[in-house]
Amino acid sequence: MKKQIDVQLKNVQKRFQNQVVVKNFDLEIEQGEFISLLGPSGCGKTTTLNMIAGFLDPDEGELLIKGKRMNGVPPYKRELGMVFQTYSLFPHMTVGENIGYGLKLRKVSKQEQAERIQKVLELVKLPHVADRYPKQLSGGQRQRIAIARALIVEPSLLLLDEPLSNLDAKLREELRDELKRLHQEIGVTTIFVTHDQEEALSLSDRIVVMNYGNIEQIGTPYEIYNQPKSEFVHTFIGKTNRLPGVVSSIDNMHVHVRTENGLMIKATQSTGNWTVGQSVTAFIRPEKIKLTTQSEKDTSDNSVNGTLDIASFLGAFTECKVSVGSTLLDVRMQEKVWTGNGQDGETVTCSWSAEDVFLMAEGGK
Amino acid sequence: MLKRFPYLFLLLPALILLLGVFVIPMLFILVLSFQGVEGQFSLENYKTIFTDVYYWEVLWKTIKISLYTVFFTLVLAFPVAMFMAKTPGKLRGLVTMLIICPHLISVVIRNFGWVVILGETGWINVTLMDLGLIEQPLRFMYNEVGVVIGLTDAFIAYMVLAIATSLYSIDQSLYKAASILGANRIQSFFHVTLPLSMPGVFAGITLVFSLSMSAYVTPALMGGTGVKVIPTLAFEQIMAVLNWPLGAALAILLLGCTVLLVTLFSRLVETKRYKEVFSS
Repeated sequence: MKKQIDVQLKNVQKRFQNQVVVKNFDLEIEQGEFISLLGPSGCGKTTTLNMIAGFLDPDEGELLIKGKRMNGVPPYKRELGMVFQTYSLFPHMTVGENIGYGLKLRKVSKQEQAERIQKVLELVKLPHVADRYPKQLSGGQRQRIAIARALIVEPSLLLLDEPLSNLDAKLREELRDELKRLHQEIGVTTIFVTHDQEEALSLSDRIVVMNYGNIEQIGTPYEIYNQPKSEFVHTFIGKTNRLPGVVSSIDNMHVHVRTENGLMIKATQSTGNWTVGQSVTAFIRPEKIKLTTQSEKDTSDNSVNGTLDIASFLGAFTECKVSVGSTLLDVRMQEKVWTGNGQDGETVTCSWSAEDVFLMAEGGK
Repeated sequence: MLKRFPYLFLLLPALILLLGVFVIPMLFILVLSFQGVEGQFSLENYKTIFTDVYYWEVLWKTIKISLYTVFFTLVLAFPVAMFMAKTPGKLRGLVTMLIICPHLISVVIRNFGWVVILGETGWINVTLMDLGLIEQPLRFMYNEVGVVIGLTDAFIAYMVLAIATSLYSIDQSLYKAASILGANRIQSFFHVTLPLSMPGVFAGITLVFSLSMSAYVTPALMGGTGVKVIPTLAFEQIMAVLNWPLGAALAILLLGCTVLLVTLFSRLVETKRYKEVFSS
């Protein structure tokens, strides 16, 4: 059974003073989906969200929510919920009044208001703060209240505008898990705008990666990370080694690439149609490279010797920089795998599978 | 004290100046107000004031004129402040300048300007009579109406700037939040803009009220001999009647009244809700 489509953007465009900030945006969001708009600042993600919210109107194209055309409909008639980066709680209202504001506008009876406020406060795990003022709460608590305020009206769509960006690292993670739990519990269709790839990867059913107003790729977190469709997606999501070079030969199994620094790299054939002499760029994720001492026997497709320049211990893993000839490789090493002693200047072997090499033709896809 | 506020010495020049030109003279006036005809200590002046109903009438008129001025400045200033808050950039700067620049001209000149507009042969009366709408010229000058018009003109800038400042500090995303929750523009004005502008409104009211209570030039010029307020009365006692002690007592009465009313007013508005807004 095909799921119901909650939000539809059809060829949406937005310009600010002749500059196109959102180009030919096409997206369908299914009911109950958690979708992230991810990209660097200025990529058009916030503009897109503001169009869905109704703060901006598209210059071209159509926006449909629950099948109804929304172009020109003001935000207060859209029945949405929204959470902002700066919490945006009304400072002159108590927490209870803040949360109840949407119900008050909908002329819900006082008694029902009180019941629903209590219920939603319990949902965000802050049952005893209704009489306090926002200023008396911590940042994390304020954002929970803001979420409660958005959810209480039972919105058809929940919009999250970088809701975690103002919080410190630990709280951010805590609230991220909270968002995930709430989404699983309530199942409201959610659009989440963020520049933080980790947030997007951990929360989303699907991610829309944006750059300069264009959609670079739409896909599940797994697809975005492991099957990036463009160089931008590959470099924006996660760390990577970027190695420009030329296709030197092709055999049944592999494409052989000679990088500018003289490194020979094998990649799998299946990644595209390649011709000998073509300029390409090879990408390898730091965590896909295995680091071993030279004495160990290695059977990987790719295996090069180098010198360990810097090893920075970061707890869960160690970030290494390895010089291979004149190429500097970033390697992320899980501690258990490592058998050497991790001294700077040590001679090591870097190896990786041909499948983990991501090849891209110069100047595009 | 010095350890907690290491930069206290920066206040020193201002404090010395205030002490010399404000605190000490005020003490002199206080002492003066308790002097009898012979220079001895006496409650005579206060007895005169409190027993003569004339002074009570003048005091009430002073308060009434000040309240009207507060009302009109408030009503006229709020939309201007709103416009300024909603219009960032160059236009806002221009409006701010337009509001401040009349103050480059002496209030005396500005009051005389009103004579040209409001006088019996001023253009309002002339136009209305030419149109046949009235037969006798309307009296705008030398009565309370004239004083209120003059004071409103003189003090409106303070009200605009006080309100605008508090409107500027409202987080714009609050309007987005209200809107997405279902508030239309009118609801958002009454539920967000108005309550959050209250610190500015109260500051403006306090400022304009105290300024109007103590205004001398405008009541003297726009009210003429027809409108007596406490400041003009005190001036008259000191400069014309040469009864300095009674003038001093009137000045103290004015000060006392203004302080009392302003204090009562701020007590009134400092309820729980506004405390939250004010301290943010």
